[in-house]
Order: sequence, then C-alpha cells, then structure tokens
Amino acid sequence: MGNPFDSQVEIAWCPGCGNFGILRALKGALTELNFSPEEVVLVSGIGQAAKLPHYITTNVFNGLHGRSIPVALAVKTVNPRLLVIAESGDGCMYGEGGNHFLHALRRNPDITVIVHNNQVYGLTKGQASPTSEEGFVSKAQPWGNMSTPLNPLSLAISQDASFVARGFSGDVDKLKDIIKEALTWKGFSLIDVLQPCVTFNRVNTFSWYKERVYYLDDSYQPEDRIKALEKSLEWGDKIPLGVIYRHQRPTFQDKVYSQIKKEDLIYRGVDFDKLLVEGLKLFT
Amino acid sequence: MDLNLLVGGEAGQGVQTVSGALSTILQRSGYFVFSIEDYQSRIRGGHNFTQVRFSTTPRRAALKKVDILACLNEETYDLHREKVQPEGWILGAIKNEDTYSPHLLPLNFEEIAKSVGNKIFANVVAIGAILGILGLDLRNADSYLEENFARKGEEIVEKNKQALRRGRDAVIPYVSSPLIEETEKRNSPLLALDGNQALGWGALLSGCQFYSAYPMTPSTGILNFISSHAKEYGVVVEQAEDEISAINMAIGASYAGARAMTGTSGGGFCLMSEGLGLAGMTETPIVIVDAQRPGPSTGLPTRTSQGDLEFIIHASHDEFPRFVFAPREPQEAINLVIRAFNLTQKYQVPVIILSDQYLADSKWTYENLEVKERPDTPQFPSFPFPYRRYLLSPSGVSPLAIPGLSKALVVADSDEHDEFGHLTEDLNLRVKMHQKRMRKKEIMREEIHLPYYREGKDLTLVGWGSTWGVIEEVGERLKAEGINSGIIHFSEIYPLPLKIEELFSQAPHPIVIENNYGGQLANLLERELKTSFPLRINSYNGRPFLVEELFSQVKEVRKNG
Repeated sequence: MGNPFDSQVEIAWCPGCGNFGILRALKGALTELNFSPEEVVLVSGIGQAAKLPHYITTNVFNGLHGRSIPVALAVKTVNPRLLVIAESGDGCMYGEGGNHFLHALRRNPDITVIVHNNQVYGLTKGQASPTSEEGFVSKAQPWGNMSTPLNPLSLAISQDASFVARGFSGDVDKLKDIIKEALTWKGFSLIDVLQPCVTFNRVNTFSWYKERVYYLDDSYQPEDRIKALEKSLEWGDKIPLGVIYRHQRPTFQDKVYSQIKKEDLIYRGVDFDKLLVEGLKLFT
Repeated sequence: MDLNLLVGGEAGQGVQTVSGALSTILQRSGYFVFSIEDYQSRIRGGHNFTQVRFSTTPRRAALKKVDILACLNEETYDLHREKVQPEGWILGAIKNEDTYSPHLLPLNFEEIAKSVGNKIFANVVAIGAILGILGLDLRNADSYLEENFARKGEEIVEKNKQALRRGRDAVIPYVSSPLIEETEKRNSPLLALDGNQALGWGALLSGCQFYSAYPMTPSTGILNFISSHAKEYGVVVEQAEDEISAINMAIGASYAGARAMTGTSGGGFCLMSEGLGLAGMTETPIVIVDAQRPGPSTGLPTRTSQGDLEFIIHASHDEFPRFVFAPREPQEAINLVIRAFNLTQKYQVPVIILSDQYLADSKWTYENLEVKERPDTPQFPSFPFPYRRYLLSPSGVSPLAIPGLSKALVVADSDEHDEFGHLTEDLNLRVKMHQKRMRKKEIMREEIHLPYYREGKDLTLVGWGSTWGVIEEVGERLKAEGINSGIIHFSEIYPLPLKIEELFSQAPHPIVIENNYGGQLANLLERELKTSFPLRINSYNGRPFLVEELFSQVKEVRKNG
C-alpha cells in the first residue's frame, strides 16, 4: 500500500537538493505516527523549501514570505485537533519572518516549525541568508557577507523555547525520528535542518556537513538549559545533531482555552437575540 | 435646548473623567448626548479637550459655539473663551483680571476638594459645579459615583458625594435659573456608544471568533472592547507582534473556519496590505477595520482624517475585488460589521471598514439601536476527495471547505494556482484564475446598497462615512435660510453600486465634502461616472467638520460655484 501522503504534483527542486531528504523524512514521520492527511495542515512561506507542502497530500496553506508562523498559530488555536506544521527556509523563517519567530518563542503555540537551513537564498539565486557564514561570497555580496550568522538554536534556547532540535537532511532515518519526536511534543518545537544547496552554496556542501555532524548520545540531558545553550554554541569542526533542549510549559492554546470555553470554536454559534438584549445594557 | 459643554486641561488632569461622567449622567437623565474627543499624542501635559453637546432631541454633530467652558487649567481659558456664547458660562481656572463673560466663575477645584480631605476629588468638584450651573438634580450623579467608586469602599463613595455637593454649592449663589430644560420622561433608558464600541459590538453580534490586532490609535478601542468581552462571548483575542502578524493570524484563523477580524489605522494598514493581497489571492474571508488618522507616515496620531479611501480601494499590488464600507454613525457601524462578515463569507473577498478618529471617539445617543442585519448561519458542508478549492465556477465564487471537517483537503496558495490550489506556471490557467477572481466584482456591485439620498432642488451635499451627521445638520440650517439642499451620502462605497449614475443625474450642483486634500470620493466618482465634480469642500486639519464652519463653507462654495 502506498503512503497516503504521496503526491502526484511535479517537484520543482534541483536534482540532488537537500529538500528531498526533508520531504521523505516528513512523510515517513506522518505515516509512522498514523496521521491521516485530513488531520494535518502544512503551512509554509515562500522559497524553495516553502514549496514542500505541495508535494505532500494534505491540507496546505502556502502563504507569504516569512509569515507562516502567525498563520500556523491561528490554525492550531482555532482547531486544536489539527496537527499543524510550519515549514520554510532559513531566509523565510529567520530573515523575513524573524519577528514572528521571536514572538512564537514567547507564545509557545503547539506547532512544529521545520526550517530548511541551507545557509543561502536558493529561489532568488544565491544571495547570503541570515545563517550564511561571514565572508560568504555571492553576486549580491561580492566582497563577502559582512554579517555573522544567526544562531537560531541559541536564540531559541535563550528564550526558553519548548523544544529545540537540529537535524541533517542527508540522514533521512534519523531526521524522521527527530521530526516524530517534535510532532508528538506538546508546545512549540523547532527543528533546524541542515541541508546542502547543491546549486548556490559551494561552501556548506553535503561532504562539508557529513565531515562535521555527529549525534548527541543518551548521556546528553536536553532538560538542562545552560548545558543546552553551551551545546547550541558548538559549530565549526563539530556540529551536534538531535534534541538539544526541551522544557514542557503551558502552550498558547492551553492558555486561550483556560479562558474561553473548550468546545469547538468554529461550531460555536451566536444566540443573536440574547446578545442583542444583553449588549444593550452595556450602553445605558 | 441645545447646549455645548467644553472641558479642557492637560493630559492626565482628568478631562475625560469629567466629560465622561457628565455625558453619562446627562444620558441617564434623559438627554441626547453627542461628544467628541480632542486630544494630543501624550499621556501627561499638553492640551486636551472634550465637547459634550446635549439636547432634548437627538444631535449628530459637533458645534463650534460653547455654552459652558470648564477650565481645568488656565490655558483652556485662553484657548477657548472666544467660543463662549454671550450668555454662556466659564468656570474653573480663570485669570482674575479678565472680565470676558457675564458668567465668569473663577473656582479652584483642588482647593474645594481639599476641604473634603484630598485634592484628588477635584474632578468630582468640577462635575458638581457644572451640574449646579445646569440645575440638574444629583440623583444620577450619585448613582454614577456609587458605581465607579464602590470597589474603593463606602468612605470614598461618601467623600465623592460630598465633593460633588461642594462643587454645586460653590456655583449656586450665582445661578438665577437652571440652564437645562426638562426632558420628557422615558420608558426605557437612552443608549450611548462611540464608533469603536459599535464596531466591537458588531463583531461580537456577528459571531466573530478571532480578533488579532496591534495597538494603534484610534483603532485600539476596538481591541479593548472585544478583549473585555472575549471570555463571555468566546472570542480568541491576540495582540500580535505587528500588523503583519495580526492580519496573517486572522487569515489563518479564517482558513481554519473561524469568523476573523483585525483592526488598525492607516500606518498599520500599510503593513497589512501584503496580507490583504494574500486574502485576495487565497480568497480567504476577512474583515479589516481601518480607523483613519492624518498621515502620511505617523502623521497626527490622535486626530481625524478621511485620507485613506483611495489607498484602501487600491491597496496591495495587482487587482482583486474587495468591499469598502464606511459607517456614518455608531448604529450603522454595528449593522455594517454584521454585513461585512456575511459578505466576506459569501464572496470570499476581504471587506474593509473605514472608520476614523472622529467616529471612533465620538459618542452618539439613541432611543433604540436598530440592528437590522442578521449574521448568516455558518455552513460546514462536506466535500469528497479530491476537492477543488478554486473551482472555476461561473460566478467566480468556489465552494469553501474547512480543513479537518471532511475528507476534503484544503490547499490554499499565495502563488497563482490551479483549481486544486497547487501552484502553477500555466499562463492559460493564470488567465482563467484571474478572471474567476475578478468576475466576482460584477455580482458584488449588485449587492451594494445605494447611498443615503434626500432630494434637494438647489444643491446636493455629497459625502461618505463619518461626515453624515454634520452634513445633515448643515442641510437643516440651509433650509432655514431658504436653501433647499439634497444629500447623497455613502456608507457602502466600493465597488460603486449599480444605478449610481441615475442618482447623480437627478442631483443638482453636487458639492463633495471630505476630510482630505485631494477629494478622494470626488475623484472616484469622476473616474467611474465620467462626469466632473468641480465643487468640493476639503478639510485636512485633523479635526472634524463643525456645524457652523461647514455651513459657511457651503454657502461660500454656492456663492462662488
């Protein structure tokens, strides 16, 4: 039997793109967790990574560049029964959508954010992204990227994000396991996925990553925030993969529904005549 | 009887406390109140004032003339004394050497308050003094104080009542006959509300389930109103990190099946225009309020304007249909919000409601609030798999499914897309999809109500949104001078309704009155009706039209035009 999430839509990525590994891992995770397509909403922004939802048979909201998180937060809030995943590239999530990312860390919505981090802008043909190395040369940065790269994991941990992990698109099985853990986690979960861009990033190639990445072993305790922060700063010769930090705390949706009635929001009608009479009292 | 009270002072001195209490007390005593707020963008200092017009019959506009000037500081006296009528009263912080009015009562409210025990009662002393001049009994004032100070304990309530009486007693020796006329006895209490409350209440009545916004004057009152009732009405309210997030949240909520709304002012709407296009492209229902203030950019944050009409009609790149409404008064605002929620759902296009600071903050009084509109019952139809979100239907409106409620998978895309919602680069399909979206505009025109119309032989006063009340009153004044003026006043502006040409073809000498420089409605009418509208009155000083001013401007235009 085929995977119910398989799609017939033609894929527009470059051959060998790291996105393929993320697509396989995500579909695998959804299938192994026994979700059915109508229970899932994939929200994305704009960029090569943001095309991914079209290649999975499920509910999709492919919105604006940088704006996937506010949409995902609202979808999950209105219908908490849905599994809501926001996914996009590093430019979309950390650049154009940086403010939304920052505030999602504070709100702790029960959504999973998967960032395809290839340290470069793919769709616009090779400019530096928020995670590009300092000195990265492109047509737009001929004298080299003058800024230092954003460390999304340290940022997330410093703000007590609920679940912070890093994966590698070159290892589909392990990435699938991390995604499964994130999808079952209650609260905001971030997976920063290292992914080579075979066309525009000649520095951070498949072999560049392969030589450096390693998995955290069972002795690593992701509940310790300070240790996690330390671990998140490790970058260069060795790059840790796996769940780096997790801390359960009340979600945005928990807090909303502790104030308003728990029954399904969308089915909740209005008793118009009652409201009309009661409301008039407000203005006497 | 038609009296106008002006209370002025520094920000933080209690201008709104005094005027707010008085308008509620007058309303509860059976008088029709019309109040406007004039304040600066600061929390302390500067000069703020509120005008409370009250009468035994309904009033719908602000006056220039003042009958009672209450000065919480001397600056108020300097700035406003010339507006005081010859028989009017001035009380409070007045420079003693001046003898401008026959009813000049220098009163130190703080000193009088200290005799009750604390200068914090100064505002209540002022309320008492004004009520003394009016000659209104203190029953409603007492119950107002009880309501507002009950949580601070009995002693504080009593001290406030004492302060009220000390204020009244300070003016009694000078008042020979009460200023206020008796009003008729009423079976039910009068109702008073401002534009922001009306928009918020309209949303609650519509069954709005999701409101996201970023605070911005003068729209913040909507957020505050909905938030304060969110729990009882079951509304998710979120203060977003910016307007971009606010509109994207509302769109996400709507996609997931909620009736969603957001509100902002012009500058915030600039940030929202990207999201407006998203709603247009994904055909996601959404209601957006733009409470206008003068711009460009930060402009005058706490002042009024009708400068956003052309922007709102065209906002976001390329083309897509939208409804643009502009309520004339709070009662209509309630109805238009309900209508906005119904129409956004029916046509899957954004509906934008244009308010402004004048409407947002002005309080109107009604005997009954007529809520004629009813929210449509939400539909949750099931669709089989595969579901075409953007079915190329004859009307342009495609069946709308909600994710998770049936086997239908809902795919929405900001890219150009195929019928299933998947992105496409097929340019023939692009043409079909664009035509599908755009042809909704034709049936939307049939939906739009014609403007408010009153026939006139000599000239026609034309306007939109919040200017209706003042235009009506100017029309009455013209009539008293033997000038027969008609009115064409829009609250459903865009798309322009069918048969609008007919209406204008029978309207003599239209004068288009707007709170903007360019004459934005006039320009729209010229473009769409292919006739010219050379007679225009435009004001862009940040203040609403006052009856006397507009009256003389209309006469001026008539003389020259």
